[in-house]
Amino acid sequence: MSAPQNRYSNLSSAVGLGLIGFNENDVVVDYGCMFYDSFVYASRLCNKIAGIVPSSERLRILHERLMEEDVKNYDLVNANYNEHCLKEEYDCVIVNSFIEQILIELRCDKSIFYEKKISPEKKDNSQGKTKVQFLKTVYNGLKPGGKLYLSYANKMRVNIFLGFAKLEIEYYFASFSLKNALSIISLLNAIYLFSYYLLSQKGLEKLLKANGFVDIEKYAVFPDHKYPLKIIPMSKLDECSFEPVQYISREGSLSRISAGVKRRVDRLIFKNFKLFGLSPSFIITARKAS
Amino acid sequence: MASPPHLLLQPEKPHDITIMLCELITNNTHNNNIALYKCYNANKVFYRKTAFSQWGNKVIENEKKGYDWFYKDSETLTEIRLKKKYFYELDIPEFRGRRFSSESIISGNEETIERVIDFYKDQWSTNDVFAIHGDLALCNFVIDKNNIKLVDWEHFHYSGKEYFGYDIINMLFILIYHESKRTFSLNKRNRDFLKKCYIQLAEGVANSNKILEKPFQNAKDYLLTFKDKFLVNTNIYDKFVLSGSPLSVLEHFDSIVTK
Repeated sequence: MSAPQNRYSNLSSAVGLGLIGFNENDVVVDYGCMFYDSFVYASRLCNKIAGIVPSSERLRILHERLMEEDVKNYDLVNANYNEHCLKEEYDCVIVNSFIEQILIELRCDKSIFYEKKISPEKKDNSQGKTKVQFLKTVYNGLKPGGKLYLSYANKMRVNIFLGFAKLEIEYYFASFSLKNALSIISLLNAIYLFSYYLLSQKGLEKLLKANGFVDIEKYAVFPDHKYPLKIIPMSKLDECSFEPVQYISREGSLSRISAGVKRRVDRLIFKNFKLFGLSPSFIITARKAS
Repeated sequence: MASPPHLLLQPEKPHDITIMLCELITNNTHNNNIALYKCYNANKVFYRKTAFSQWGNKVIENEKKGYDWFYKDSETLTEIRLKKKYFYELDIPEFRGRRFSSESIISGNEETIERVIDFYKDQWSTNDVFAIHGDLALCNFVIDKNNIKLVDWEHFHYSGKEYFGYDIINMLFILIYHESKRTFSLNKRNRDFLKKCYIQLAEGVANSNKILEKPFQNAKDYLLTFKDKFLVNTNIYDKFVLSGSPLSVLEHFDSIVTK
């Protein structure tokens, strides 16, 4: 809040954070600091912001950007999420590109994902049991009533699933033994759980509930979560008007015509079935129970 | 730069905010650095404009001036609130009434257009200080049986009374643009209606007026001469169709309405 005003920065790509409604006394943490504009935007509206950045290169670039913007009320930590565990410090946690970040984490250490693996047939009764270490860290860091902001790209889902499956299979064969050969079921199980909780429409919300979050609201974001032009709350689909949006392109007339046709088809699908023809990204907001 | 974890920020105050449900309607339209949200707070629905830069702050503050000018004697003004955080926010109530598409055309809207012209003459003539809305279009009106509400005052500015009529001419040109599907060719019925609108607008206007002699050409001249007053953060030709229209087209429509 105390940062001097920089007249040149347009932080419109951080528009998703407008859903949160920051308070000038808020203390915020951004896990991953994937979008620099979001970090700067939050720093302008909050009392203080911390950035937990696993990549030193990303941390260096962000630091330079913050110097340019003359942001003073920040603190950057070059660490993994599980390397710092704070107790009820923050009013808000920001996690951009959530699923992508989970995948990066898994590459380093699979054990930080599931605290307790469960069998697929028990998944419906398992909401109290399935804990994700990362979400647990986030939860513990929030004050009671604190807010969580997650954004992730829907179109990345297949890539992410394949990436995760590849990791699991590599891990399985790298530590191959007779005993391991018998545990192929656990391999399939892990892949199945990942796809169920992170890739299904309702899975992530269930996972958040299981990890103690309440007031969970999901938003469809167009054209993507990096620079939203349209955000629709999924619980208000009946009241929202849907005009498909795309980034403005000045390319040839053929691509303009095809974009126009796509827009009309998408509008028709939404009007009749309340479904999105376009593949949106998503934002989820939630609160830690008071 | 990087601090050890134990030096991380400490909390100062307990948390007390709930998350309000919002829909993002537009973001950074014509590089205005502003987002428009529709917000659902319990049973109340309102719109919120939020700036994302200092330019956006300037535009939002200007928009509030427009609302202050327009609704100065109305209770509506108490519901329009400007919050000057680092990035400004302007809350605007949801007005009840008929809304219009941004691609509205003349055909089928004749009655509304005549009502809007009457409203303009009444509202703009009686105000002590003359001002320009700057982006008057049918889509910025919310109209019901008894009331006409006007929104989107981003391009508001004070001006001289001799420019009376600019906003209506701009609105008519936008309607022509969409009616003719950008070809600027209108049928006779539309041409006759335009002439009727012009007569309605020009009736009783002082000779010193600088718009109505050649309305479309003069309106374009006004726009280009005073473009800085419109607070447009992009090429003005991308924002206002009138500004990029060829002289021959404007002469054509001037002759339709004035002869």
